[in-house]
Amino acid sequence: MTAHENSTTKAAVACEGVWQVFGGNAEHALGDALKQNGGDAKATASLLREHGLIAAVCDVDFEIGNGELFVIMGLSGSGKSTLLRCISNLIRATAGRIEIEGEDLRSASERRLIELRREKLGMVFQHFGLFPHMDVTENVAYPLRVKGVPAKERHARADEVIRLVGLQGREGAYPRELSGGQRQRVGIARSLAVDPSIWFLDEPFSALDPLIRRQLQDEFLRIQTQLKKSIIFVTHDIAEALKLADRIAIMRDGEIVQIGTPAEIVLRPANDYVRGFSRDVAKGRHACVDSIMHPPCKDSLGTDADDPGLRPNMTLDAALASCMSLYEAVPVRDDKGNVIGSIHPKDLVAALQVEDS
Amino acid sequence: MSSLPASSLAGMAVLAIGGLCLIFTSVFPWLVVFPEAWSLPMNEWIGVSLTWWFELIKPVARLVSFVLEYPMTWMNKGLTTMPWQISIGAVTALGWYIGGWRMALLGFLGLGFVLVSGYWIEGMNTLALVGVSVPLALTIGGLIGIIAYEFVRFRNIIQTFLDIMQTVPTFAYLTPLLLLFGFGPVVGLIASAIYASPPVARNMLLGLQRVDAEIKEAAIMSGSTRMQQLFLVELPAAKRQIMIGVNQSLMAALSMVIIAAVIGGFDDIGWEVLLTMRKAQFGESFLAGLVIVAFAVLMDRMSARLIEESARFDFRISMGIFTASVLVWLAGSEYLPEASGIALLDGVAEQVDSGLGEFTAAQGVRLDEIKNGAMFYGLLPLRIGLDEAVLPFTWGFQWNAQMSALLLGVTTVVAVVFAYRGWQLAGIGLVLAAGILETGIANLPWPFVLAGAAALGWVAGGRKLALYAFLMLAAVLISGLWERALLSLYLCGAAVFACAVVGGSIGLLCAVSPIAWRIVRPVCDMLQTIPLFVFLIPVLMFFQIGEFSAFLAICFYAIVPMIRYTRHGLVETPPELLEAAQACGTTRWQILRDIRAPYAAPTILLGLNQTILYAFAMLVIAALIGTTGLGQSIYLALGQADVGLGIASGAAMAILALVADRLVQGFARSKREALGL
Repeated sequence: MTAHENSTTKAAVACEGVWQVFGGNAEHALGDALKQNGGDAKATASLLREHGLIAAVCDVDFEIGNGELFVIMGLSGSGKSTLLRCISNLIRATAGRIEIEGEDLRSASERRLIELRREKLGMVFQHFGLFPHMDVTENVAYPLRVKGVPAKERHARADEVIRLVGLQGREGAYPRELSGGQRQRVGIARSLAVDPSIWFLDEPFSALDPLIRRQLQDEFLRIQTQLKKSIIFVTHDIAEALKLADRIAIMRDGEIVQIGTPAEIVLRPANDYVRGFSRDVAKGRHACVDSIMHPPCKDSLGTDADDPGLRPNMTLDAALASCMSLYEAVPVRDDKGNVIGSIHPKDLVAALQVEDS
Repeated sequence: MSSLPASSLAGMAVLAIGGLCLIFTSVFPWLVVFPEAWSLPMNEWIGVSLTWWFELIKPVARLVSFVLEYPMTWMNKGLTTMPWQISIGAVTALGWYIGGWRMALLGFLGLGFVLVSGYWIEGMNTLALVGVSVPLALTIGGLIGIIAYEFVRFRNIIQTFLDIMQTVPTFAYLTPLLLLFGFGPVVGLIASAIYASPPVARNMLLGLQRVDAEIKEAAIMSGSTRMQQLFLVELPAAKRQIMIGVNQSLMAALSMVIIAAVIGGFDDIGWEVLLTMRKAQFGESFLAGLVIVAFAVLMDRMSARLIEESARFDFRISMGIFTASVLVWLAGSEYLPEASGIALLDGVAEQVDSGLGEFTAAQGVRLDEIKNGAMFYGLLPLRIGLDEAVLPFTWGFQWNAQMSALLLGVTTVVAVVFAYRGWQLAGIGLVLAAGILETGIANLPWPFVLAGAAALGWVAGGRKLALYAFLMLAAVLISGLWERALLSLYLCGAAVFACAVVGGSIGLLCAVSPIAWRIVRPVCDMLQTIPLFVFLIPVLMFFQIGEFSAFLAICFYAIVPMIRYTRHGLVETPPELLEAAQACGTTRWQILRDIRAPYAAPTILLGLNQTILYAFAMLVIAALIGTTGLGQSIYLALGQADVGLGIASGAAMAILALVADRLVQGFARSKREALGL
């Protein structure tokens, strides 16, 4: 699950000092404001606001490894969708560097961008963005059509992706004849038609009702284990973020407040804002044993200590359940049976404690 | 004083100016009659400069005219020589394909009526003009729409331009075109292509703008080039709105083609109406008018069907219908007469004529009473004021200074009472109304009118709108067309007032009674489909030429939006508001008065706005049956090929309409903002 750590090649997506400022003469104003504040992001943003400009994305840095599922989480107005549009170059970022597999997008020509979109990028939209005048197959095959793929070939490929998202049998239907869940399946299929290496999803499940949302999340994970894309997934739902993400970036007022694995977000929130999100989350389900275990220590771990069979990737809930009746530190073993750490049941309980405000 | 709202202050100022003018008119007559020495010879300037320019581009224009002659002749030949059996079969088959048996029946009956009326050839000639001008309009309008969408810089300019094109009265187009392109049907063709392209451009732009942002983004992210985005995704996704534009364009083209008959003796249906109308053969002009209505209904309903995304009907049946019609032609051509030989309804026309003659003979006194009553007690006082309109001959007594004093005194007392109770604005309005009635719109001092418009502008939309209204009207004033402009304003004002009262009441009735709406709705649909020109026929039949007939024709045409918007506004209150009101225990009438009416106010104002624009549009057409004012000038200019007068009068008319439009829109906007919509 931590592909980014051992990836040796270039990052799939890299952002460095990305700003998106809306308003008249934004580029100039941003440059001035940055100089005036010595590059301090917060001060720059508030200075811009005083001048009537809006800094929707402020000084964002992160890297995404190949095959990583990176979630950007934030409430509405936090700038998460704008950030995604900067990265996909639907809007051109005001400042900063955005690299896709080592290639700078901000300086790419219009032609190169079209090429990149035809080869490497796929995007899914919140309200599906399906073309109302095309049926399912035509929608899915559209990216291939504009690329110039012959009809027969592109329809074969479309059928393949339609099967992947489980829509076989509805090929001839028009978007208006489909349910919300089915529509988003079409959206997903279309974004995968060119077999992109980088996949953008902008709140893809927010417009769906809870049951369908869950179903599609599961299918999304299934597709991802099969295809191993590098993904940027935008959501406002912390539960969805925790369920899907390898890493989560939490945004507020255009800035990234914290980047971390789901366990880090839940167990070690960077500030009260992030804590506010994780407060209602059942931590035991999202954090694993390895996030709170200590290195093995001979003193605390007697040779005759009970061994409930803890593994590092067990959730805290499961771990607690298996050491309910124990009061001493217990070992954590890897798959080969070697002791790699220890944990005290009372630490488990403490970690799961719901924080009081 | 400072605690008074802006509107009351503005009203007081206007009142003061009006009062001063009233006192000083006897001393300074130039307050009412704007001295000719002060006005600029706009007509001549426009005439000279345009003529000079026209001479320059005339060769190009004549070339266009020459080129256009070809498709027109082909279309004309094609439609007139096509056996009527096949034409009817083709339209019926098309009707089936797009709308099933209802549309097929409509097509069959519509064209069937044209055939039996005996106006087949004339009808086909008209259709040929529409058939060439609409594709032309679609191309021009579509290009303009796409340019406005693609290049944001041009958008505002183009939209202003489209606004003006749609407010400049139809007749005003004709004079310059006449000079440029010479006489003949091509002028009508070009005029209708020009007149029919703004709706296409407008709807094209609107449709493209309204395509969901995510759909546009999805097209970009799929790797489309700009052209691919536009033609593969955005235009098809905007199809519905574009089809609405096509529908409006068709109707505009038909309307204009018929009006254009005024300039040319071309054997089309508009000419037929005009000719029979001039000869007072009302039966025949009525029949020809019905043929126009049949065309309008056919075109409107069929193109409206195309807007709906509903599935098409079996194409094989369409082919069957068409084949059958060809077979009928092949088998029956010996027994069935030529189209030109069919005139089954001649008898009907005669009967209408004689019936009408008997009716007017029997009811003539009553009709005259209606007409004179409306003139003496309504229109005339409004036009020239009580002091001139009230004579022994009309009202049975002579209006004198004491009566004026009494009227103004009483209204002032009432106004003071109003103001005392907190209704300053109502009080001021009352005094103003009494003053206007006393002097008459045609005799209003110009400082008062300018100040009034500026004050309305200020209240409706702030300083900018006030300045706009003032400058625009001032331009009319110094152009030397002021007197005629006031006459136009008076007739339009009277018609709009009547429409607002009657149409508003009908709208209210339809809002509370679904049954009433079920009856009124098809009437409204019908009135909106009929080309302007046709409205003149029935009023002429009963009331002859004159101002009252013009007034009626304007009212019939302009009342529809008032009815529609009033009902729509009153009916479309959000249900949760109504539920909240119900939960408070309100009665139906209380809901109507306290919830629905305030909520509907912006919508009703928009209806009023439409009514005003419709009234101005009809005013020019009504000049054909006798009105004074700008409409008449435009019509005269057409006869004398006087471009300067035609353009200047058209521009003045457009200015009046635009100012009225901005003012009402301003009020509607502030109402909407007050409601947080």
